[in-house]
Amino acid sequence: MIPSWILDIFAAIMLVVAAVSAARLVAARPWWHGAQRAALADIDVAHLLMAIAMAGMLVSGLQTLPNGGWEVIFAVMTAWFGYRVVRDARVSGVRALAGGHCAPHLIHAAAMLYMFMALTAPTAHGSVGMGGMSGGGMSGMGTLQLPLLAFLFALALIGYSIWDLDQLSGPGASGHYSLATARVVPTGPVLAGVGAPAGPGTAAGTALASAPPALSAAEPAEAVHVPPASAPADGTGVLAPWVATGCRIAMGVTMAFMLLIMI
Amino acid sequence: MRRADPRFPGMAAVRGMDARTEQAEESRMSEIAAAGVRPAARGRLGIGAEAARGAPDVRRLLQLALAGIWLLDALLQYQAFMFSKGFSHMLAGTASGNPGTVASPITWNATLIEHHLVLLNAIFATIQLLIGIGIAWRPTVRVALAASIAWSLGVWWFGEGLGMVLTGDASPVNGAPGAVILYALLAVLLWPADRGPAAPFTAARAVGAPVARTLWLVLWLSLAYFALLPGNRAPQALHDMIAGMTDGEPGWLAALDRGAASLVAHQGLAASIVLAIALVIVAVGVYLPAPYAKGALVLAIVIAAVIWGFGEAFGTIFTGGGTDPNSGPLLALLALTYWPARAAVPAPVRTAPAPAAAVDEGTAAP
Repeated sequence: MIPSWILDIFAAIMLVVAAVSAARLVAARPWWHGAQRAALADIDVAHLLMAIAMAGMLVSGLQTLPNGGWEVIFAVMTAWFGYRVVRDARVSGVRALAGGHCAPHLIHAAAMLYMFMALTAPTAHGSVGMGGMSGGGMSGMGTLQLPLLAFLFALALIGYSIWDLDQLSGPGASGHYSLATARVVPTGPVLAGVGAPAGPGTAAGTALASAPPALSAAEPAEAVHVPPASAPADGTGVLAPWVATGCRIAMGVTMAFMLLIMI
Repeated sequence: MRRADPRFPGMAAVRGMDARTEQAEESRMSEIAAAGVRPAARGRLGIGAEAARGAPDVRRLLQLALAGIWLLDALLQYQAFMFSKGFSHMLAGTASGNPGTVASPITWNATLIEHHLVLLNAIFATIQLLIGIGIAWRPTVRVALAASIAWSLGVWWFGEGLGMVLTGDASPVNGAPGAVILYALLAVLLWPADRGPAAPFTAARAVGAPVARTLWLVLWLSLAYFALLPGNRAPQALHDMIAGMTDGEPGWLAALDRGAASLVAHQGLAASIVLAIALVIVAVGVYLPAPYAKGALVLAIVIAAVIWGFGEAFGTIFTGGGTDPNSGPLLALLALTYWPARAAVPAPVRTAPAPAAAVDEGTAAP
């Protein structure tokens, strides 16, 4: 039996991810800043929902939504990110299917949907539903149907997590992988948290060329959308791109953990 | 390197773009966010010519694959079975048949783990988790690879009974010479160092081509030797080994194993000879010219896949009792480290940053 304190640690990490994602949504205020930022808020919304769902799965005392509710949510989420991946692929080619911006989120959402749909009811201690995953000190843990699919999902999640770690720690990390925070005076609107091409002749490149030398690689990508005086600059603090990537890594590892222990 | 892109004219254009352009912009930006950073990063890592060609750094990709396997190992170590006495009994079982000097520490270790099962297994899993993350996190790659070597050697002895190579029961089909020793070997071969100006394959970059080829030869010849041990060439040896993997497996995998077992029933000697010949071909293959070497490496990958699927039942992961994916994926990964380079692999060149890298670092002239 897996000790409950190990599951509690993973659940606590997920609750932190949920809190951070909620903070990002509040800080970004997509409902005030138009469709472009709202279009990217889907990632934080996805992180928030997935983290809550996983915490509920890991800790039996944490009641969230009924399984049916989560299935509907993750089915919609899977369809949404599937649509975005197909849209990316039409514009950027087939590489977007595996390496695009939305592909990891599609895998995450699909894995969540699979977990809720494939989980067999625990056989002991009467815990029903995902909230019973750790019921009875794990003796009531369910198992997943189609374990091969669980394994493949786990491999994909591990792969994306490893890739994210590598990119996040690269010396030239920018865009979603930037560890830096932006202080550049914005000169052009670039989607929040999304890298922009920085080079001669581009708006971002121009901004960079005129920026102080101490600025980091990612700054032009994060010098986004002139914020109102009361709004935080995008790419700083909780809105820094690496925060979202860090959340994605934590969720990917936790999700792979859950898939493997339920095989 | 990053290039000017006329599709990104700036704020005004973004504000005014129509729906189709917006879609293209968003997708393009997303792509760049996910991938566009890599060339600049490579430039500053000193990957030089490869980056200039736009090719990925093969060694880094192989390191990431190794990191992924370590992470998989770690998560498997958190399974419920590993917190049960079955785990310590499994460790104790590896002492059987080993010489006393090898077996005694194994027994002591298994007893210790049994007494502190939850704590020690949680520590074991966490160590592996940190190794995987450490290899993937660039600043800690050396520390993590060094730790992985030390950890692997310890587990090879205390957890795998030196791969049973001293017992006469080792077989390449069931994981000899021990999966975990292959982690250590991969860590050595993928160490981020370069010994010469050019290397014919990735594994040669860290230790040099002669040493790398010798390690490969020793490994695969030893596998050929194990295949021909009396216990493995008995008429029903291979059949029994494969058929014994079906317990607890999903139906489709058990059926596959049963089918494979029936194919080699009473054919132990012939199967062992064929396997040994194939393993010898693989062993000497890296000394052959590149086209033949590639053929030998493909054969190595095929053998690894067959062993993993039929002999190791995918590391018995589907039973909930697999501590790791076993040797199959590691042998395949090892083969990829010997894949002949398209051109000579350059040593890291500490050149001045390319223009885009300089821009990235904020050192470009205004």
